Amino acid sequence: MQHHILKDFDQAVNTLRAEVLVMAGLARMNLERAMRALFERNLELANAVIADDNEVDDYERKIDQLGMDVLVRFHPVATDLRLVVASMKISMNLERISDHAVGIAKRARKMSQGPELADVTLLEPLYTLADHLLRDAISAFSDRNAALGESLGARDKELDRMHKDVTKVFGSRIEESGRSADYLHLILIVRSLERVGDMAANIGENAVFLDEARDIRHEESRKHAQNGD
Amino acid sequence: MSDHVFEAPELPECARGIPAIQVRGVDFSYGATQVLKNVTLDVPANEVVAFIGPSGCGKTTLLRCFNRMNDLVPGARVTKGSIVIEGADINAPSIDPVRLRRHVGMVFQKYNPFPRSIYDNVAYGPRTLGEKRKQTLDEIVEESLRRAALWDEVKDRLDDIATGLSGGQQQRLCIARTMAVNPEIILMDEPCSALDPIATGLVEDLILELKAHYTIVIVTHNMQQATRVSDRTAFFYLGELIEYDSTRKIFENPTHRRTEDYITGRFG
Repeated sequence: MQHHILKDFDQAVNTLRAEVLVMAGLARMNLERAMRALFERNLELANAVIADDNEVDDYERKIDQLGMDVLVRFHPVATDLRLVVASMKISMNLERISDHAVGIAKRARKMSQGPELADVTLLEPLYTLADHLLRDAISAFSDRNAALGESLGARDKELDRMHKDVTKVFGSRIEESGRSADYLHLILIVRSLERVGDMAANIGENAVFLDEARDIRHEESRKHAQNGD
Repeated sequence: MSDHVFEAPELPECARGIPAIQVRGVDFSYGATQVLKNVTLDVPANEVVAFIGPSGCGKTTLLRCFNRMNDLVPGARVTKGSIVIEGADINAPSIDPVRLRRHVGMVFQKYNPFPRSIYDNVAYGPRTLGEKRKQTLDEIVEESLRRAALWDEVKDRLDDIATGLSGGQQQRLCIARTMAVNPEIILMDEPCSALDPIATGLVEDLILELKAHYTIVIVTHNMQQATRVSDRTAFFYLGELIEYDSTRKIFENPTHRRTEDYITGRFG
């Protein structure tokens, strides 16, 4: 894309985009560290995730301020307007992902105080898929790749299915294992991972909007409504 | 109030849905310099259409073609194509430009009231067309000033000199003067470029109200203004019509790269 006639505009927009990518890196790292704290029973790592969440919160505020600044100063239209809108929406989703990482870290901290639980490993494939969804959502935004962004919804369904299956397994073990508190923690961690997948899909939708100005949100609901389902 | 003077005539069944202005393959030159190249577009009735583009792109030239204002420029002429208004090719030899301008009024960038009273400014057009009855002229002046959202501000000083009004009031007076001869189409050439934001807001509100009665074509360099007042936007570049679509489409997701570069401020 050509340079803007106002140099400040290019700088403001590039800064906005860069801050979203930094925030996305932090949110993804927090999730990764929270899961590692759980798998490795690492109390220190769990505490670090909880402490570092403030930084992600600060980025959300900063991105909103930058977006407002671009809107007020430059009145962007078309792709520039979509970048501002998408950035602000994506930062909101990233902040929530980091909140889920904090929730997982807190549960990891509690679980690390009791004996090891082998079933924790059942979470690995869910985390791997959630992390890949998040990675690809960020790439879809960064590379303006609508096809990649649009693909996330279908892949998130697989995560939903895994969430359902694993929750069922953990639910059945609550009573039989005698460790109901730990299995409740695991059920809620699985729920967090499923929500991370939803938010990655949301970011994918924002990437489609950014790249092609298409609003693909709630398309399935609309189709069902049209078919009278 | 005599309704017949102001209400736009209802179109016959066969003419409904027909564009107010039909431009077909128009080339235009100033002497040897071609400034419009094969321009084709329709301006739907009772809509506001904005022409945007960098200086020298031909947007004002096309606007001035619609009421043959370019006839006043030596060597300026449509060299190909046609412009049809109300079923008539306006460049046909049988068309009287003065009569055409009664149907296609124009508001200019710099407000230009005559150095006469407010009343006389508005009554000028109808008088030129032969209207002499005082009561009818009074009605026309009042209705035109009401439509221009100026009546309440000037009704007690209609005999004051027009050039004593504020800039925004003078521009709305010029719009009232244009409406006084009951045109079907109003052309506006950067009508707010000399106005402050408050006066601009009043003129923009007026444009939105007027489209119920008139078809409006506006040339503007202010793209926010185009997004606020127009239903459709045409982007011109180097004499070519690059893109013409709903204003929302043009400013949210234009089809052509050159349009996108222009509206986002990336014109190299």
